[in-house]
This record gives sequence, structure tokens and C-alpha cells, in this order.
Amino acid sequence: MKERVWSTVKEKLFYLKSSVFHPFDAFYEIRFRGKGSIFLAVFILIFFGILQCVSYQYTGFVINTNDLSSMNSISIFLTWVLGFVLFIVSNWSVTTLLNGKGSMGDILKVVCYSLVPLTCTLIFQVFVSNFIILEEAMIVYVVTGIGVVWSLFMLLAGLCVIHEYGFGKTLASIFLTFVAAAIIMFLGILFFTLIEQMVVFVISVGQEFIRRL
Amino acid sequence: MKKRIRNIFSGLLMLCLCFTMILTLPMQAQASDGSSYVYDGYTYDFHGNAKESPAMFQLERIISRENMGGVALSSVDDVCTSDDGRIFMIDTTESRMNVFDSDGTLLFTTRLVRAVDGTIALDENGNQIMLNAPEGVFIHEKEQEIYIADTGNKRIVVLDMETYGLLRIITAPEELIGVTQFVPSKIAVDLADRIYVVVQSSYEGILELTREGEFSGYYGVNTPMVSLTDYFWKSIASDEQKAQMAKVYAPAFNNVTLDGEGFIMAVTYDSSAADMVFRLNSKGENVLRQEGNTMVRGDIWTMSSSDTGSQFVDIAVTDFGTYALLDRAKGRIFLYNFDGELLNAFGSLGNLKGEFKSPTSIAWLGDKLIISDDTLNYIYILTPTAFGRAVLEGNESYYFGDWDEALVSFEEALTLNANYEAAYSGIGKNYLMKEDYETAMYYFKMGNNRKFYSKAYNGYRGEWLERHFLIIMVLFIALVAAVIYSEIRYHKQSKIKAKAAMKLMNSRRGRAAE
Repeated sequence: MKERVWSTVKEKLFYLKSSVFHPFDAFYEIRFRGKGSIFLAVFILIFFGILQCVSYQYTGFVINTNDLSSMNSISIFLTWVLGFVLFIVSNWSVTTLLNGKGSMGDILKVVCYSLVPLTCTLIFQVFVSNFIILEEAMIVYVVTGIGVVWSLFMLLAGLCVIHEYGFGKTLASIFLTFVAAAIIMFLGILFFTLIEQMVVFVISVGQEFIRRL
Repeated sequence: MKKRIRNIFSGLLMLCLCFTMILTLPMQAQASDGSSYVYDGYTYDFHGNAKESPAMFQLERIISRENMGGVALSSVDDVCTSDDGRIFMIDTTESRMNVFDSDGTLLFTTRLVRAVDGTIALDENGNQIMLNAPEGVFIHEKEQEIYIADTGNKRIVVLDMETYGLLRIITAPEELIGVTQFVPSKIAVDLADRIYVVVQSSYEGILELTREGEFSGYYGVNTPMVSLTDYFWKSIASDEQKAQMAKVYAPAFNNVTLDGEGFIMAVTYDSSAADMVFRLNSKGENVLRQEGNTMVRGDIWTMSSSDTGSQFVDIAVTDFGTYALLDRAKGRIFLYNFDGELLNAFGSLGNLKGEFKSPTSIAWLGDKLIISDDTLNYIYILTPTAFGRAVLEGNESYYFGDWDEALVSFEEALTLNANYEAAYSGIGKNYLMKEDYETAMYYFKMGNNRKFYSKAYNGYRGEWLERHFLIIMVLFIALVAAVIYSEIRYHKQSKIKAKAAMKLMNSRRGRAAE
């Protein structure tokens, strides 16, 4: 039993690694042979959110222009994590309409797995930026830039594979994803405003009632 | 019984009185030495937040109509000071130049210009020389001359500083080209006796004249801001349409002065200008240093759509490059050092003592500031507070390279205002000069000065590497040795493996042959 768990973990980690270096093949395995892990994906996402808080505060002073006196780690964490959750939800909503074959879980796995290169370069940035001068900051920026490009490539490759799309259609679906995200945010704000008005109404009716008694 | 009630009643009354007194006491920013100021000051930190700060100046004295001894005073449009402490003031409405000493005693007043020997001076047509709505005055210390921009008569009147007698008159130069009319408003004269004349609403630049009054060219580049929408419409319009569109003219300079190194400094309050403050080199380009937390444009936030931002009507420069800008939109005074770091901003429009109505002009009198207001017809004389003196002395010492004195002054400024980033930076620079990198890093971090922090860290890192050179070298050699060892081992093992494989193959081959 213990060995079986261990071997499963090893396999999942192996496919995480190979998704970084061979995204098309690895995401194919993940999508069609169940080699991915939702648990691992969520773990990466949460780790990424925490890492963003860490980088906000602990990136070296020379390139860290954040106002630390007004730092709010909960807001940073939620902004990043909910941003990706919003992307996943809206991508799923768009691709279901556009004959995408990927399920919500598949999209989650692809999005979170493709954060791995960015996470690694971010760790590099936080560490190295504490030992550099302004003239060497370019090195850190270049490495982070490579991480961003790599992650974007993984994301594109992964979405291509899981939805069984061509490259052009993937790009179009990502554009529509952002449109859908905007609509979702609009609806969310509308919802909360209306709920607030309703709550205020109920409270004022209650107060009126208590005063008349 | 009655007495008790009366006691209680009077007690209550006293209590009420105390409360009202506490509530009506003016709330003022206080320095930590306890002295209160008329003005509330602030600076901007690295992140663009306005940070409260004690004001660098406090009101010392007001020169007003009462100091005039019966002479009419209807507006105060320009002030200028001389090194010996005299204040020269221009009254446009009464067409007068009034001269005060630094205590506010009227020394001299003139409308009718006299010759050096005291007789009434006449121009070439035989008319008396009367000032007519003058707008500007400039003291040329090198030649001991007073230049008055006699705007209504379209000429410049040059007087002697001692006798106030007429030296010469500069009228419109014959060689003047362009569409600018010769209506001098503000004047500056540089160390080579070139005369720089600002004509309000001239888009061709500052008029440059020789000492004799010959036209030598337009000076200064004031680039307008180009908006993206304008650019778009211009790019698709036909030639006929373009001809009908409003042309974008260069904004006018509004005031001009001379700094300690002989550079011309100018300001503009035209909202279409890209820069607001200029330090012009000999080619007329802007070489103002803007190394501070904010650009040199006064307030960096606007509060509403009708808020125009700061509008600088005048600039005054000290010998050590620190300059004061007068903002007529909010009645504020902004002090910047030669690097363009905002030292302090203070002042406001209003009706209280020390507040301005429509400030027009600013000048330094030693370490005091002279500010004129043409609605109240006041000249305000402001003296530096303890905080202001510390900051000014710190910047002066730093500018002239007296690092140790600068350190003392900046430390004093910090005891009065612990949120003062400019002082932290100043102290850090001092330690950087002494190669005390670790202390310098601390102060640059407090001052949010990343550029200099990086310089200090570079030194610190170099020293650290030098100190730990041995252990780093040992670790490095150990690493190299480990790599070589593992390579050799790998090679050997693969050789053994290859041999074994060979043997196996040979034996197989042998068996097959049998």
C-alpha cells in the first residue's frame, strides 16, 4: 500500500517535470491517461500565491519599489489566486461553447502546471536580487522574462492539447476568455451591489418594525 | 443653598470656557522642539505619498502700505533683492519702483527717473522719463545696475544702484526679427552682461540682447506637450484641413532669473508645456537636474478635474543651487535642491495671517524669502525655522563639498522631522564619501534612495568578498576538484563497463563460431 502511494507520487512528479520540458507529450499523457493530479495543481497555485507575497516583501531593496508600509499579504494572495481561478472558470465557459474537449480539472492542471517555470524564476529573483547592484538588475529581469515566456508557452501548448485545438483557435479562445472574465467580474460586482441593497432594505424594515413595537 | 448652586453654575461655566478654548486653539504642525509655525509643510516620499513636515519658513514681517509713508501703493508685482540687503519692489498700477531696507523702511521711491546728478532726465525727444506700468526689476550686482522692464513704454530703463540715477535706456532693437513685440515684462542679466527679456505670450522664446541693447537672438526651448488624439487627427487630415486646425505654438516663458553658476533659470505656467521649470544651457536646452522622488512640477496629484496643478509664476535661486518656486494656483512655495529633490512645500491661499491671495513674485534675501502679493499689496518676509535652517545649511555644505558640516545639519533636520527622506539621503552620501558602506546603506534605505544604496552596496559587497576571499577560494577549489573527481570516476566506470560488454560480446561471438 505504502509503496503504491509512493510510486503514484513519483509518477505525478515525473509528469510535472516532463510537462515543463516536453509540454505537448506530457499534457497529452495528463489529459488522456490520467497522469496529472488536481491536488498537486492546487498546491502549486497556493504556493505561487504565497510566493508572490514573499517576493513583494523580500525582493532585494535595489529593485523592490513596493510600498512595504501599506503591504497587505491577504490581498496580494487573493489577487493572484483568484485571478487564476477566474481565468480557469472563464476559459472553461468559453471552451465548452467552442467544442473544447478539456474539462474544468484539465484546465486547472494545465494552468497550474504551467506556473512552474515562473515560480522557479521568481524564487531565483527573490534570492539573487538581495545580492545585486542596480547595474546587474538586468540579469534578474532577463531570467524572470524567460520564466514568463516559458510559462506562457506551456499554457498555450497545454490548452492546445487538452481542448484539441489548433494554435489559432487557442489564441482566439484565450482572447474570448478575457472577454468572459470581464463579463464575470461585471456580473459579480452587480450581484454584490444588489445583495447589499437587499440586505440594507431588510435591515431597515427590521429596524422600523422594532421601533413600532 | 443659593451659594452652592451659584458655585456649581460658575464651575460649569468655567468648564465650558475651557472646552471652547481648547477647541478654538489653532491646530498647527509642530516641530519636535515645540515651536509652532504659521505654515503647514509637506514633502513627497518615494512612493508619492504626501508626508507631513514642519515648514521650512515662518512669517517674520509684512511690508505693506503702512511702511510707505504716505506714498500710494496699489499693487506689488515684482520684488528683487540686492546683496547689501535692499528690497526693490515694482508697483505696476502706480508705475513706481520702491526700495526698502531689510527692516521694511522705505529708502527710495521713484516714478520720475532722474539723471545721476539729480536733475530731471530727458529722452531724445525731450520728454521726461516716467515709468509706465513697469512689470519687472532685476539687480545686476556685477555692474551695480538696476534693470526695470518699463512695460507700458516698451523699453528697459537702467539705473545706478547707488544714486538711482539714469544710466541708459534700451528701446526696441531695430534688428528684432519674428512676430514678438518688444514689450519687456521680466528681465535677467547674466555674468557676461547679456540681457534676457521675457515677453509674456511670446512663443518664440526669451529675447536675448547685448549690453548695448542689440538683438542677438531668441533663447530657450519650451517644448509643447503633444496629445495622442491631436497627433491622430493630424495624421489623417488633408492639407486643407490641417491649415484650418489650430496651430500648436511653443508655450511662453513667464519668468526668468539667474542662478549661482550663471545659468538662466526660467518658469512657465502654460498648461501645454512639457516642462515647468528650466535651467537653460548656452544652446537654450533644459538641463535641469530631476533626480528626486518626483519630477520638478510642484504638486504631483490633482484633486479634481478643475485642478490645474501647480502654476509657477516666479523662481528664486540661491548660490548653492537650491531654488524656491512660487505656485499661484494654491499659493504654495516649493523648495528644491540642485538635484531636483523636493525639500519642502508650504503656504496656502486664504485670509489668515501669512496666507496669500495672489502671489506674484519671490526672491531670496540672504537666507530669507521675500514674497509679493498684488491683491493684498503685501511683501512677506519669511525667515527659516530651525528645521529650515538645518536643511538649507545641509544643502549648502553638501553643494560646496563640506561633508562633515552637511552631516551635522542633516542630523539636526532629522531630529526635527524623522520622516525626512532628503536628510537620510544626505547623511548616507556623507558616509559613502567616507567609505563607511554599511552605515551608508542603512541611511539610503531609510531615505528610499535606491541609486545610492546600490553604490554603497557595491562597495560593501566588494569589501565582504575581499574579507572572505580565502574561504570562497577554498570552496571554489573544492567544487572544481569534486567535479573533476566525479568525471574521472565516471570515465573509469564506463571503461570497465565497456570492457565487460566487449568480453561478453566476444564470448558470444566465440560461441556462435563454434
